[in-house]
Amino acid sequence: MTPENALLIAGGIWWTIIVTLGAFGLGAALGVPICAMHVSRSRALHVVAVVLIVILRSVPPIVWIFILYFGIGSGWLSIGPVPAAIVALGVITAANMAEIYRGALKSIHPGQWDASHALGLSTWSEFRDVMAPQIFRVTLPSATTYLIGLLKDSAIASTIGVMEITYLAGFLASKQFGASLQIFAFAGALYILISLPLAAVARIADARLRMKVAQ
Amino acid sequence: MERTGEARLIVEVKGLGKSFGAHKVLDGVDFSMRAGEVVAVIGPSGSGKSTLLRCLNQLEQHDEGLIQICGIGMQAGLPVPRKDMNDLRRSAGMVFQSFNLFPHMTVLRNISLPQERVLGRSRAQADERSRALLERVGLAGKADQYPARCSGGQQQRIAIARALALDPRIMLFDEPTSALDPEIGLEVLAVMQELAEAGMSMIVVTHEMHFAETVSDRVILMAEGRILEEGPSAEVMRRPKTARAQQFLHAVLNR
Amino acid sequence: MNATLSFWAESLPSLISGMVVSLEVTAAALAIGVPLGLVAALLVQSTVRPLRWVTLAVVEIGRGAPALILLQLAYYGLPYSGLQLSSMGSAIAALSWTTCAYTSEIIRAGLQAVPRGQSEAAMTLGLSRLDALRFVIVPQGMRVAAPALLGFAILMLQASSLCFAIALPELLSKAQLIGTMTFRYMEILLLAALLYAAICIPATLLVAAIERRLGKHAA
Repeated sequence: MTPENALLIAGGIWWTIIVTLGAFGLGAALGVPICAMHVSRSRALHVVAVVLIVILRSVPPIVWIFILYFGIGSGWLSIGPVPAAIVALGVITAANMAEIYRGALKSIHPGQWDASHALGLSTWSEFRDVMAPQIFRVTLPSATTYLIGLLKDSAIASTIGVMEITYLAGFLASKQFGASLQIFAFAGALYILISLPLAAVARIADARLRMKVAQ
Repeated sequence: MERTGEARLIVEVKGLGKSFGAHKVLDGVDFSMRAGEVVAVIGPSGSGKSTLLRCLNQLEQHDEGLIQICGIGMQAGLPVPRKDMNDLRRSAGMVFQSFNLFPHMTVLRNISLPQERVLGRSRAQADERSRALLERVGLAGKADQYPARCSGGQQQRIAIARALALDPRIMLFDEPTSALDPEIGLEVLAVMQELAEAGMSMIVVTHEMHFAETVSDRVILMAEGRILEEGPSAEVMRRPKTARAQQFLHAVLNR
Repeated sequence: MNATLSFWAESLPSLISGMVVSLEVTAAALAIGVPLGLVAALLVQSTVRPLRWVTLAVVEIGRGAPALILLQLAYYGLPYSGLQLSSMGSAIAALSWTTCAYTSEIIRAGLQAVPRGQSEAAMTLGLSRLDALRFVIVPQGMRVAAPALLGFAILMLQASSLCFAIALPELLSKAQLIGTMTFRYMEILLLAALLYAAICIPATLLVAAIERRLGKHAA
């Protein structure tokens, strides 16, 4: 592994992070209304949310990316590879985050709702001051774990030409056949390296959560 | 069977000590028993009774002292040779508070599998022995059921049959009726009494004071990891010498 | 609408043949990867340190590196270390690795869910460590792990679409090929998505039903 090769591949870290965080931000935001629809009293909204979640999860991410990039991009409106990757991974993330939020809602004791009603809190302040912090805490470990998975899924963006880690590794390998093994091994190691701090956050958050619950 | 006969010691424990971290669970325990004897071990929770039993068959390794059981010697700190460990497991049958039957096997398989794997019996031989034992504990009809379909009392009797199937020389019971309703416990105690009368060497950790008094030959009363009193059942149960023993027996007998 | 339907009817045989390849590669990866995952789950608990470390490294790399990287590593990288694999061979090798890594964690959790009393009972009955695992612990642990393993199998079928990158003629490759020839990307990709969904949705519902039933059983 020459330093030049290593530097070139490492240059892809930025696009890897942009795609990952972009998709995660989009998904974390879109996940809220989907979750709200899922738990809503309206039967119709509930069914729409369930169908949406099931469909988004039942088709491989790479197929969604292709549909956006080649499908929509070829006829309807032109969409660049980076937005295509972010939107495709983002909507899949939304479905999964909605389920993570829902799990968190379920884990909060019904007594908490009653207590805040009894205190006469308005619905908004009830949500902001009582529920949101708890949901955040419960969500943090699984959301971080999901983020690590998303980091690896972002490699798929290479197939439509986003110049992130995997794309650059493939590009280099096609120029230097003999070094392919080291190049891909280095690229794989980069992903593991990036995910290490995230894994630490997930572990600490999980430990804190367990401690809180135990008290 | 004559219990008071020749003094062949089946268990001998000298200076037994065991700690979990800083907590000393067993502290200088000495006792011995002859083949054919039935010994009840009683005492308050946390007195080290179960740990004593678990050290005897090496589910826990002791930190201090010497254990001799069925002719196998085990010195604290020294690894037990594999052959000795196999002999120990074969010679000492264990019955747990929580039965620990294998839930994914039929009752018959539960009893036959160890015979095939440990004693090398054929399936037919093992099954024949298993059915005879099920008959003996009054559960011949349960052979092809799964443990989950049996009541707690039935499961414990099956567990006893499973341990007996390996023809042990001594049976160790770790609170065999504590997880059962009192009247269900009686059917298990009846099987144990029958076993005692047939001459089996038994150590029974128990809260069943009636069983301790009437079935066992000897009672060991433990507290805080030590043996407080030891002697013939009636003597220990009726005329305890120490104040601590009196307090414990007063509490449990007048419950 | 009619044009789309007749285009779909025309392309379906080709996509179905691709789907068969997807299913084959998934089945092979599971058939090799899950037993290896069981072995890895047992070896990470080994008292022999070097064995534990090597296993841990295999598992952590298999989980930490994107499957797309592992696929290309096997396809483009291995030939230069003297091991030439076909795209099918590379796909099976890489996805088996991923499967081994992920299922080892699932199976380890399953094994840990087996109550301690079970191994204690096996021990006191004189069963050897290997017999205790084989007859008592592993069958029960695998039963606990079964729903999660089935869920993982569905993810693996989806992951097989990544084999597009190493020229394996699976479902997505076929769709993409037809797309480049006809420029009717949207229609052909939607049909591919439908085919994936046609397998994954019923499978997901089935796994959920199994989970519910096991949950009821335990309670």
